[in-house]
Amino acid sequence: MSYPTALTDIIELFEFLPESERRENLINYSDAAAACVRKEGDTFDLEDVRKDEECSDTVGVYLNIDAEGKAHFAVELGPKVQTLTKAMTAILCRGLDGSTPEEIMAVPADFVPRIIGAELVRLRSQTVYYVLSRMKAAVKMWLNQRRAAE
Amino acid sequence: MNAKFADYATPDILVDTDWLLANLDTPGIRIIESNEDLLLYDVSHIPGAVHIDWRRDLNDQTTRDYVGPEGFAEICRRHGITPDTTVIFYGDKSNWWACYAFWVFQLFGHTKAKVLDGGRDKWEEEGKTLTRTVPTYPASDYPVPALRDDAAHRAYFQQTLAHYQAGKKLVDVRSPKEYSGETTHMPEYPQEGVLRGGHIPGAKSCPWARAANADKTFKTRAELDALYGGELGLKTDDDIIAYCRIGERSSHTWFVLKYLLGYIHVRNYDGSWTEWGNMVRTPIERTA
Repeated sequence: MSYPTALTDIIELFEFLPESERRENLINYSDAAAACVRKEGDTFDLEDVRKDEECSDTVGVYLNIDAEGKAHFAVELGPKVQTLTKAMTAILCRGLDGSTPEEIMAVPADFVPRIIGAELVRLRSQTVYYVLSRMKAAVKMWLNQRRAAE
Repeated sequence: MNAKFADYATPDILVDTDWLLANLDTPGIRIIESNEDLLLYDVSHIPGAVHIDWRRDLNDQTTRDYVGPEGFAEICRRHGITPDTTVIFYGDKSNWWACYAFWVFQLFGHTKAKVLDGGRDKWEEEGKTLTRTVPTYPASDYPVPALRDDAAHRAYFQQTLAHYQAGKKLVDVRSPKEYSGETTHMPEYPQEGVLRGGHIPGAKSCPWARAANADKTFKTRAELDALYGGELGLKTDDDIIAYCRIGERSSHTWFVLKYLLGYIHVRNYDGSWTEWGNMVRTPIERTA
């Protein structure tokens, strides 16, 4: 399975970084999560805002499918969300932007350790998979709605 | 000193945020951040604070155990800590991991140790200074401790089993659903590999959070006495073992019982439910 090009670029950036630089880049991405929020005037085809057991705060996922069938996300995180979750939010908003719903559904989760690194994908770090699962869930809901409308 | 602290059994075991802000540059102290959030220290920390990661630094990387005396001395040397340094712990999640790191330091007899009341949450909430600058300190020559004194502070599985069989006091500090057996992990956390739910027979439920205020500070002596002495009926000289799932929440309760209330014989069963709930043929009580 090939990943969306933008996501591949991010994976390749992270994959061979020394631990200290990997952490530094993750912090930069976590800072960038603040820019993933909805912008004024944005409209979305699907909004999924909820607080799940698996995450320490509310996460809102907003999905827009443009006229060419490409997906664009906004994600809003509650203040208690952990740093790795913030970092993965910014990585995925950038890495999946412009992919089709079908491409997003086909993205396997095995890229996550290549970005996060074995050091950080350990006990209690399953949180790094959470945002991907939420984005896929939003896409799946949109696909189901489209199917139902056809 | 913060007036609240005077009532605790060990009043100087805590510092408050104002004291710490005024003493950031005081010689002879080392501020240590220990968190659940793996990258939180990298995002920002109290100026001058060093980072101790409970997994990478305090745990043996192969065996489920803590570092030995050599490893402990190496951590201290790396951060310029000497036996005379007063270490002040703080962290996220109401100081779970700060208390856990404090507890590990006690295994090695480093008694010049304190905890920041309210931890990182209170410091942030008050808008006090944070930085990304990672400090460096000249390495110290911290001597290798003669031993890791587990006996005084730590309970192993066999000891906990004997403790339960003798009808001694056990405090289960997990959430009510974990205690009842309805879940095997706390709210907001993924399943982490425990095959059975429930609690050690005879253990009393007292979730750790009942010892904390909304601002993450510890409750007053009177409130804590009412909880542990009153509701749970614990006596100062009882032999007590606290446990949770992996030993961090019970470190919080261990700290409260030992230092804030002055209970004499308190140990932390760090194997906790991930050991007990996976052990073949170990007795379990369920209420769910």
